[in-house]
Amino acid sequence: MANSFRKPAILDPMYYPIIVLLIALIACVELSDAVTAVDVYRLVQYDISGVPFGSRLATLNHHAGSSFFVSGSSSDLSRTVLILPVRELNLTLITEYIEQKKLIGGLLLLLPPKFRPENTGSTFGADEDIDSLRNILVELEWLLTHSNIPYPVYFAFEDDNIKAVLAEVKRNDASGQPATATTGGYKLVVAASDPKRIVSPNIANIQGWLPGLKVDGDSNQLPTIAIVASYDTFGAAPALSVGSDSNGSGVVALLEIARLFSALYSNPKTRGRYNLLFGLTSGGPYNYNGTQKWLRSFDQRLRESIDYAICLNSVGSLGNQLHLHVSKPPENAYIQQIFQGFSTVAEELGLQVGLKHKKINISNPRVAWEHEQFSRLRVTAATLSELSTAPELLESTGGLTDNRHFTSEASIVRSIKLVAEKTHLQPGKKSISIFADDSSLAVNPSYIRSWLELLSTTPRVAPFLSKNDPLIKALEKELADHTAEVNVQHETLDGTFTFYDSTSGKLHIYQVASVTFDLLLLLVLGSYLITLFSFLFITTRGLDDLISLFRRPSSRKIQKLILVAGFLSHKIMSSKHRCRGSVLLDFFSNNQ
Amino acid sequence: MTVFHFFNCAILTFGPHAVYYSATPLSEYDTLWTSIKAAVVYLITALVKLVCLATFLNVSESESDNFDPYQELLKALFGFIEVAGLYFALTQLTHRNISQNHKFQAVGLGWAFADSVLHRLVPLWFGARGLEFTWDYILQGLEANANLVFSISLAALGSLMWLRKNKPKTLIPIIYACAGIVATMPTITSYLRRGLGWYLPKVVGFELFSSLLIAFISWQLFVACQRPSN
Repeated sequence: MANSFRKPAILDPMYYPIIVLLIALIACVELSDAVTAVDVYRLVQYDISGVPFGSRLATLNHHAGSSFFVSGSSSDLSRTVLILPVRELNLTLITEYIEQKKLIGGLLLLLPPKFRPENTGSTFGADEDIDSLRNILVELEWLLTHSNIPYPVYFAFEDDNIKAVLAEVKRNDASGQPATATTGGYKLVVAASDPKRIVSPNIANIQGWLPGLKVDGDSNQLPTIAIVASYDTFGAAPALSVGSDSNGSGVVALLEIARLFSALYSNPKTRGRYNLLFGLTSGGPYNYNGTQKWLRSFDQRLRESIDYAICLNSVGSLGNQLHLHVSKPPENAYIQQIFQGFSTVAEELGLQVGLKHKKINISNPRVAWEHEQFSRLRVTAATLSELSTAPELLESTGGLTDNRHFTSEASIVRSIKLVAEKTHLQPGKKSISIFADDSSLAVNPSYIRSWLELLSTTPRVAPFLSKNDPLIKALEKELADHTAEVNVQHETLDGTFTFYDSTSGKLHIYQVASVTFDLLLLLVLGSYLITLFSFLFITTRGLDDLISLFRRPSSRKIQKLILVAGFLSHKIMSSKHRCRGSVLLDFFSNNQ
Repeated sequence: MTVFHFFNCAILTFGPHAVYYSATPLSEYDTLWTSIKAAVVYLITALVKLVCLATFLNVSESESDNFDPYQELLKALFGFIEVAGLYFALTQLTHRNISQNHKFQAVGLGWAFADSVLHRLVPLWFGARGLEFTWDYILQGLEANANLVFSISLAALGSLMWLRKNKPKTLIPIIYACAGIVATMPTITSYLRRGLGWYLPKVVGFELFSSLLIAFISWQLFVACQRPSN
């Protein structure tokens, strides 16, 4: 009986969460649908040996502006966020602003949607501007990453919402009423905490080992050929630095070469008489720091067994010209042999390979090519790249402009064939085209496409990759599928480079009313309430009462006040502060 | 600045209640306790109504877009729970030292104030303090004003229906019709908004206009019923 009575009571509390949820839902819906939220990507913030570079702030909370020239009286931009589409950017003006260290509230740079990393499907079409736009972006990126900017700088992609906002801001600016707190307009807010230094940034080198066929004796006596590519990137916006060409193309090529050789080596008859060492190194933009640490970890026997190393760097862009960069003089017999091999294969593929020599200056900390790290340890090495000259520090490292649209699969396929054939080429023999198109060992274009697509949508700035980042796991697993033995080496990036977090955020755009509007509203409301009061008073009690309300001093209240004051002053007088109390009493008695 | 806006909207939403209390003789007769009692009854009524709605109404995602007559009819039926609550507040609660004239005003005032606090304070707190400016909260404040007039009208009609014995027979159907219209007002506005696709400013304008109309009618009815007794 008791149970049956209690049943309905049990039901009730079940609805409380529903009610609370409903209330919360109402509040949330009201909050979110009035606000425009945009994904934004912050300019990188980093130090080189303690010298600060990049954007030093993350929090943004200012009114929107559209140009450097404010038509109003105040030309102070320190409380204005400038929204500048890169299409219409005046590069000299922004350079001047940054170099003269003029203060701006913040900078929001709008990139064309075609530069969005996720936007891999659509092609550029016959857009003539795209090359000049790309040049502007490269220049802008160089400027921003090599200056110390004391305000937040964000990148966003143009979309309809932000275009509508920008149009309205422009109209406001043109009408001579720049948006400030008193005139209303748009407010841009990025709620971010202060950027924190990344403590001991992690770099991971992934290494795969494919042993050759040992005829007699120890397999360690077989020569080893190393194929190496650096996989991480650096760019103005770390969350957008996907680096399809630099060095996504190298990574894809390396993985495909590993796949081809694992197929080749699976049959003892076709297994080569040399070991293959695959290395995916990190820290590439920072003087190949990861490569250096990886090589240091080798034992003596392995290092001495390396016949030569081929480093792949930016091999996926259109063009028929590839360069073989070396640091030993070209007359060197080993270099000659490698170069001869490449030229022989390249001829058959209709490619041109040129030899470029650049001496190493040991006293200079700058390492421009990955092979220089090998050469410094006296291992013969060369870098295959489409770049003809050595890049500066943090140049051509996969920034904003380096995306899927400027990378060609056909070029990668050609580079893969070149390296694979060259690797399998016996010295002094003719090329045998073992990786021909229709054979079982043909290059697989869909494999290349899928990996290129993955890398082109995954930002890979090493300090922002965690130890167990999915990308590192994926690369490790892929190498493990194709090689006999895989190791991941976790190292810490050299202390000269310091990075700060909060690389991306949400920008909220609010349409705000001005203070004058609220003041006006207050006036209107006040008069409304007074009118309402008078109306109700007159209808319920009569006009005379209302008038007498003002005429008659509300004596009761004043008397009360005086009584309280008198009591207080008496208290005070009786205490130590005699004079102050008496003044108070005088004051009140005068008033009376 | 945004707190300022919140302040403005709060004045618009809750100010008229305070003004009504202080300007009319309600304040002289100290009817605050009656209003508080009515507010408590409203809270309980609202809880019961919500439980009923949650039990019998299907809440679907697309519901907010179109006008579903069956669901709305059900909602209107549950709307009469409020009338029952008002009946309880007017007849069952003991009100000492208050004339009938003041009683319905105090009850209506407490009723409307509780409604405003329950339905408008939380959205106002979360929304109007935000940076984004919208007219929504000002309109919502105006809606609260209309609701105050509706509540007092309904209480007046209720007191005519349940408390006054010797009223003219010809007026009885009119009183019931008016009370019915006021009680179904949420359904009517919901129909205007969803069925006819009116925008919020238009709906609020309609509410304000109809509230004044209803107030005028119920005032006339009240005066007409008072005549024979005087």
